[in-house]
Formats: sequence, structure tokens, C-alpha cells
Amino acid sequence: MLAGCTPEQLRGFLPGDEPGITNHTDGITGLWVTSWIVLLIVGVITWGLTIWAVIAYRRRKGQTGLPVQLRYNMPIETFFTAVPVVLVLGFFAFTAVEQQSIEKRAENPDVTIEVMGKRWAWDFNYLDEDVYFSGVQVETDESGSAKPETMPTLYLPVGKEVELRLESRDVNHSFWIVEFLYKKDMIPGKTNYMTFVPQKTGTYMGKCAELCGEYHSMMLFEVKVVEQDEYDAYIESLRAAGNTGSLGKEYDPNQNLPGNKVPSEESTEG
Amino acid sequence: MKKGNTLVSWITSTDHKVIGYMYLITSFIYFLIGGLMALVIRAQLFAPGLEIVATKEQYNQLFTMHGTIMLLMFATPLFAGFANVIMPLQIGAPDVAFPRLNAFAYWLYSFGSLIAVAGFLTPQGAASFGWFAYTPLSTTTFSPGVGGNLWVLGLAIGGFGTILGGVNFITTIITMRAPGMTMWRMSIFTWNTLITSILVILVFPILAAAFFGLAIDRIFGGHIYGIETGGPILWQHLFWFFGHPEVYIIALPFFGIVSEIFPVFSRKPIFGYKTLVYATIAIAALSMTVWAHHMYVTGSVLLPFFALMTMLIAVPTGVKIFNWIGTMWRGSITFETPMLWSLGFLISFIFGGLTGVILASPALDFHISDTYFVVAHFHYVIFGTVVFAMFAGFFFWWPKWTGKMLNERLGKIQFWMLFIGFHATFLVQHWLGVMAMPRRYYTYLPEDGITWMNQVSTVGSMLLGASMIPFLLNVWITARNAPKVTVDDPWGFGRSLEWATSCPPPRHNFTSIPRIRTESPAFDLNHPEVSGIRQPGDEEREHELAEKKA
Amino acid sequence: MKSNVVLMTILTCYFVVLGTVYTVWNLIDHGNVEWAGSTAIILSGGLTGFIAYYLAKTRKAQGGELIEDRLDSDIDDGDPELGEFSPWSWWPIVLAGAASLVVLGLALGFNFWISFLSIPLLIVAVVGWTYEYYRGYFAR
Repeated sequence: MLAGCTPEQLRGFLPGDEPGITNHTDGITGLWVTSWIVLLIVGVITWGLTIWAVIAYRRRKGQTGLPVQLRYNMPIETFFTAVPVVLVLGFFAFTAVEQQSIEKRAENPDVTIEVMGKRWAWDFNYLDEDVYFSGVQVETDESGSAKPETMPTLYLPVGKEVELRLESRDVNHSFWIVEFLYKKDMIPGKTNYMTFVPQKTGTYMGKCAELCGEYHSMMLFEVKVVEQDEYDAYIESLRAAGNTGSLGKEYDPNQNLPGNKVPSEESTEG
Repeated sequence: MKKGNTLVSWITSTDHKVIGYMYLITSFIYFLIGGLMALVIRAQLFAPGLEIVATKEQYNQLFTMHGTIMLLMFATPLFAGFANVIMPLQIGAPDVAFPRLNAFAYWLYSFGSLIAVAGFLTPQGAASFGWFAYTPLSTTTFSPGVGGNLWVLGLAIGGFGTILGGVNFITTIITMRAPGMTMWRMSIFTWNTLITSILVILVFPILAAAFFGLAIDRIFGGHIYGIETGGPILWQHLFWFFGHPEVYIIALPFFGIVSEIFPVFSRKPIFGYKTLVYATIAIAALSMTVWAHHMYVTGSVLLPFFALMTMLIAVPTGVKIFNWIGTMWRGSITFETPMLWSLGFLISFIFGGLTGVILASPALDFHISDTYFVVAHFHYVIFGTVVFAMFAGFFFWWPKWTGKMLNERLGKIQFWMLFIGFHATFLVQHWLGVMAMPRRYYTYLPEDGITWMNQVSTVGSMLLGASMIPFLLNVWITARNAPKVTVDDPWGFGRSLEWATSCPPPRHNFTSIPRIRTESPAFDLNHPEVSGIRQPGDEEREHELAEKKA
Repeated sequence: MKSNVVLMTILTCYFVVLGTVYTVWNLIDHGNVEWAGSTAIILSGGLTGFIAYYLAKTRKAQGGELIEDRLDSDIDDGDPELGEFSPWSWWPIVLAGAASLVVLGLALGFNFWISFLSIPLLIVAVVGWTYEYYRGYFAR
């Protein structure tokens, strides 16, 4: 029955040209598509009942009097209370499993990168190799397209377990890699983590997804997932350009303001 | 009355009906203002790279104030308006428990809203940090300017008005019901008013506290939301502990309105009265323990607890939907405008409810949080509920309030324009969110591939905006030309007590009240052959008649 | 009245139970209490608990069902006089205006001169409102 659907439709219109972009995307896509199917069935039944009632029980011309003044029907009411509870509990079970797997931290990630969100761009500190990339705000040309040389790009090696440490230099931001179907907020004073394995090479869209001020819509980036040798070459190019070390919290703005220092202990929440 | 006395009589009024009308009028004006802002936002998003709104900072002010106005200056006071005008009539009370407090609450709302909106008149403009005002963006470090101060304090004081209104409604319902009007014979609208008011007194104080905290940080150099002590997450918890019940405060009264209209136009009582009441209580209780589903992507919340609670809310909501369908089932339905609007609500709300279940799942929400999918969802549930049910209530109760019926033909034209415009605007936004578009973006890139969807949404919004014109025309023409209603119940099949008094009612609501034995006392009075309920004095009258014949 | 007591009691139990579940679950999963949520839920139970207690005590002191809670009451069975309802009043808008001016002064700053000038008006409005139906034409 589903053979007539396009691949796009089969993935429920989620972004990404192919399955398995990261080790999480297939699970998310499966949950999305199944949930939508079940929900649409419920929806069709409900809309169907409504439209049926509206057509079948309309008052005909010349009709007088009143219908039976029925006030309740316990069996039916019990039915339409109990069935949704069962559906909800099932949905919760699947969701809990999926969400635990997505959020699980890695014991020994292959690659650790610290991402600093700032108004209105990104710094990527490649901690293992001790080099960094400092982004600037994306600018657009006359047609509204992004100028490529201004687009911050994060490089990741394919097939390796990646841990991204998300920090903010100033206000709340959110690190959303669109085709990875995942985002995590960057909250000043708190370190958040993203753990995944990118499985397909390609270039992916990134956007800030938490209002951070005037240029929120220009706080874009790209993620390039590449083979290991291309990744190594990129790291070397950063080193050659003199970007050694990392741009840590010491570069945050507003450090002289009371209450704005990073807490000495890492928050245990989350 | 002398000219000019009308103004004075309104601003010194302690009549719940007049205060209710003031709430309805003021909130409708804010609805139009917030709506105009939305049209400007949609125009700006018509194509990439547009600069219809001159600066990005102004654009941020626009969506901040659009959200603030719609939720806190339109939808919430609209509840106070409907509750004020209708609830005392439905329980057979002469007024509310605290009439002067009632007026006070209205003026606090009115002045507080003016203060918040006055930010637009300041050099740095109105608040621009989003209606949620997340810290640290909303602190003076990142949002200096008096517009933010006006916003925080104006809303805090308006919030006090809402709290006092809630207190008034609860007291009135508990203490001023007519004899025989037991709790389980009250109309569903009145039950929903009670439960909404309980939610109001539970959560608006938290809003006020959170806002005063922000005011202290902004104005007096406090560190309540300081980064060192986890302030940003604290703000989000406090705000959303208020924010989520707030959307149920907004929805429940309007569920109550359609629960009045479906029975009248199906000529049957509301189906499943008791389970409807239990479902409403369940929704209210659950709504207090789901707030952090707005915070799934912060990495700071207990995901499974909130996922479970949020998904569970779908159950009582579904019960209500099936009860409304059950009301129509085997009824005898006609499609006057109030019924048309109620059906429009039902169709739209069902879809909004479904997308809510998707959003309840953290695994799915990680991708769609803070995107246009969420914007689409909440417009479906909030606009679908509040606006459609508002117009349903207007058309239904206009004769009771003004003694005249609104024009049916114009009402139907307005309905179809609004229905089509609404879906054209918001349906496509689900795809927009899933595919690429975050919230609160001033513009987007051509290479995002979302231009045509934004254009559909913008064109739809213009139709939606235009649908207000037939309504305003309708109000004008009705006031000038419509014939006066001469009966208590112009719809013929009214059920609750407001349909047992004149259109409009006298100053203290009733000259006489019928016997109350069910949840439909006016219906029982007017259709004794079906209700089987005899009014006091019926026996004597029949005895007299029998004696005359003999 | 009984229904109101029951409603508030159900809400109180719900908040207390869920507040405890939330606190314990947070301790298990994260090792610490999420203070904002735990406090808010449990204190909400406190509010509904206060109201439940008050209504229960009032009901006990009533000595029977109120006329509006009886299934068989007629309208004539009720008290002919329901209370005193204010016919109209200037004080609500005056008090709201004064309070708003105080708040406006806080927002605008400049040593809060507007607030200081409005506080006397606020006091006058509170006193005027309270004594409205005990003085002048209404004085006994």
C-alpha cells in the first residue's frame, strides 16, 4: 500500500536525502512516521464521526419536535476514555526508549568538540587536536543567499562517535543540525552535550533555534561530514593558519558584570 | 440620559454585564492590534531578503508584542469578559460577589496593558525579547531600554487584575447560586469558569513573582536570574509553570462556550455532562504538571515525567471531543452561525490536538522544538479554540446582550473567509517547521527551499485579516438597523438560565427565575412536554382551568 | 458545598502526590532536587488545601445543606434579600489608576518621581473605597 509513496513522504517529510544520516535518525524517523499514522487514523475517525453527525442528523425541512434527550451512555464513555489511555501509554513507552538512546552520553567519544554559541555566530574548539575555528555572522548577497565565505562550518569525520559540548558566551542559543533531527540549547553557565555517530558524508544545514537578539536569523552554520583524511587535512589547515589552542570561556563578553561568571562547579542538572 | 452620561456610567459601573462588555470590547481591540502586527510579520516573511520591517530589532518587537497582546491582552481578558457577562446569569445571581473588585480588576487590566504597549512610544521601542522573556536576553545587559521595564511591570499589574477576577468568579459560584442550582446542575460554561478561575489563582501569582523578580534585576540591580546561580533555567521553570496552565486558562472557557452551543442547535442536552466535568478537572490538574515540555531541549529537565504527563492530557481532551460529537449524535441539527463557528472550532482543534501529541514526545520534539511546527500547533489549538469560539459566543449571545440579532448572511461570509484564511495560513507552517524554519526568524535563505510555503502562509493571512471586515460591518449594521428581539429566547431551544430573562436583562438580571431541576432550566420552562418539569403554580393554574370548564 | 470541598480535596491530593513523585524521580534520575518545580507543585497543593479546609469547616458549621444545594428547592425558598450590591463607584478606576501610576514610575525610573507622587493618591483611594458605604449619604 505504501509503494506509491515517494521516499520523502515515507520519511514523513523529515529533512535529509537518505536514511541513516546519524545513528539516531532512523529511530526518530520510524517513531515519527508510526506516530503520524496512528494519529491520523484517530483524526480521520474523529473528523469522520463529526462530519457524519453533521450530515445524518441535520434537521430536515418541516421537521418539528425534539429528538430523544439522551444525556449519557456509560459504556461508550468508558470506551472512549480507556482506548486513548492505552494508546498514550504505548506511545510513551516507545518514546522513552528512543529518547534514552538519543540522550545517552558516550564513555569514550572518538571526537570531542566544544561549540561556543555567541551573538551571532559559532566558535568550534577541536579539543582533541587543540585547534579552533572562530566563526563570524553570516552575510547575505543581494538575492538573499548566504555568502559562502561567511558561513561557519563544522567538520566531522564519518563513522566516528562524536561528542559536542555546547556552551554559550552570552544569552541562550540553540544548536540545531537540521538533517540530524536534533537540537540542544546552549545555556550560559551550563554545559550541554550532544552524542552521535555521523554515518553519511555530506553537507548539512545548521541554525540557531533560540531567540538571541537582533541577528538571530543570521546565526547559521554548516556541518560537513567527511572521510577521515579530509578531516585531518582540515585540522592541519587550521593549525597552519595559526588557530592553535582553543577559545575558551575567557573570551566571553561581560565578564566584569556581577552574576555573569561561569559557576565554579559544573551543573549536575540535565 | 444626558449626553456624556454614558461614558461616566460605564467607567463607574459595578454591573457585571457592563464590566463584561468593557472587557469584551477592549480585548477585541487588542485582538485587532495584535492581528495587524501578525500581518506585518507575514508580509516581511513573504520572500527571502525582504526589508518590509525596517530593522531586525523592530521585527523582534513585533513578534514579542504580538504574542504578549494575543495571550495576555486578548485571550485571557476575553475569558474574564465572557465569564462576567454570562456566568451570573447562568447561576441565577443578581451580580458577582464583589462588584467593585470586578471593576477594579478590569481597570488594572486596561491600564497595565497600556503600560506594557507604551513601550512602542519610547525611543528604544517596545520589549523585543520574545513573549517568554528568557533571561539573560531580557536582562538590561542585553535588552536595555525602558520598553522592557514597561513590559514587565505592566503585565505584572495586569496579572493582578486577572487574579482578582478569578477570586470574584470562584466566590460567586460557590456562594451566589439560586435555590435548586446545585453544582451538578450548573451549565458547563459555568463549571469551566470555576475551574479556569482556580487555575488563575494558582498560577498568576507565580507569573507576578517571576516578573517582579525580573523587574528587580532590571531596575534595582538584583541577581535573581544571575547566570552564576542557574538563573536562566530558573526563569524558564517559573515562566512555564505559569505559561502552560495559562494556555488552558485560555482554552477551557471557550470549550465551555461551545458546550453551550452544541446542545442548543442539536436540540439535545450536552452528552456526558458528568464526564465532561471530570475531564475538565483532569485537564486542569494535569496542566499544572506538564510545564517543562516547553524545556525539553534545555537538557535540564526530567524528560520521562513530563512526557508522560503531557501525553496523558490528550485523554480527557479526547473525552471532551467525543462528548461534543455525542451531543450532536441523533440530534436535530441546524446551522445558524453559532453552530457553524462551533463546528469550525471542532474541526480545527482536533488537528491541533494531534500535533500536540507529537510534540509531547521528547524524541520527536528535539527536532521540531522552536520551529514553525510549534507555531502551527499552538495557532491551531489557541486560535482554533479562542477565536472560533469567541465568534460563536458573540453570535449566540449578541441578542441577550444588546437585544438584537447579528446578521446571519454576513456572519456566514465572515466564517468562510476566516476558516479558509486560517487553514491557508497555518496548515503549511507544519511543513515549514519540520523542514527548516525556526521561530522568530526575520528572514530566511532562498536555498532553504521554503519560500513558496511562506508565500502561501502570507496570502492566507491576508484573507484571514480581511475576514474581520464583514464582522465589523455586521456589528455596525446591526446596531443601526436590526429589529429588536422581543422574546427571552430568540433561538427557541436555549437551555441555560440566561435564556429565561429578557434580552437584554434588567439591572440585577431577573424579575423571576423558573424552577431549577436539571442543567437546562430555561429549556425545561419552555418545553414542559419534553422535560416533564412543572413550574410552581402550575397545579393551581390547572385546577382553576378545570374548575372553569366544569 | 460538598462538591466544592471534594473538588479542592482531589486537587490537593493530586498536587501532594505528584509533587512527591516529581521530587523523588528527580533525585533518582539526576541526584538533586529540582527546586522550582517541586516547590511550586507542593505549594499549589497548599493553596487548594487551604481552600478545601476552609470550605469543609464552613460546611460543618452550616447545619444542613444550603438552599442552593438542595435538589428540591424552589426559588421562593431562598432568602428574599441577597446582600448589598454597590450601584456604581468611582473608586475602582481611581485605585487602579493610582496603582498603575506607581508601577509606571518604577518602570520609567528617574528616582521614581511618578511613584512617589502617586502613593498619596493610592492611600486616598484605598481609604475612600473602604469607607465608601459608611460615610456621607450612607453614614448612619
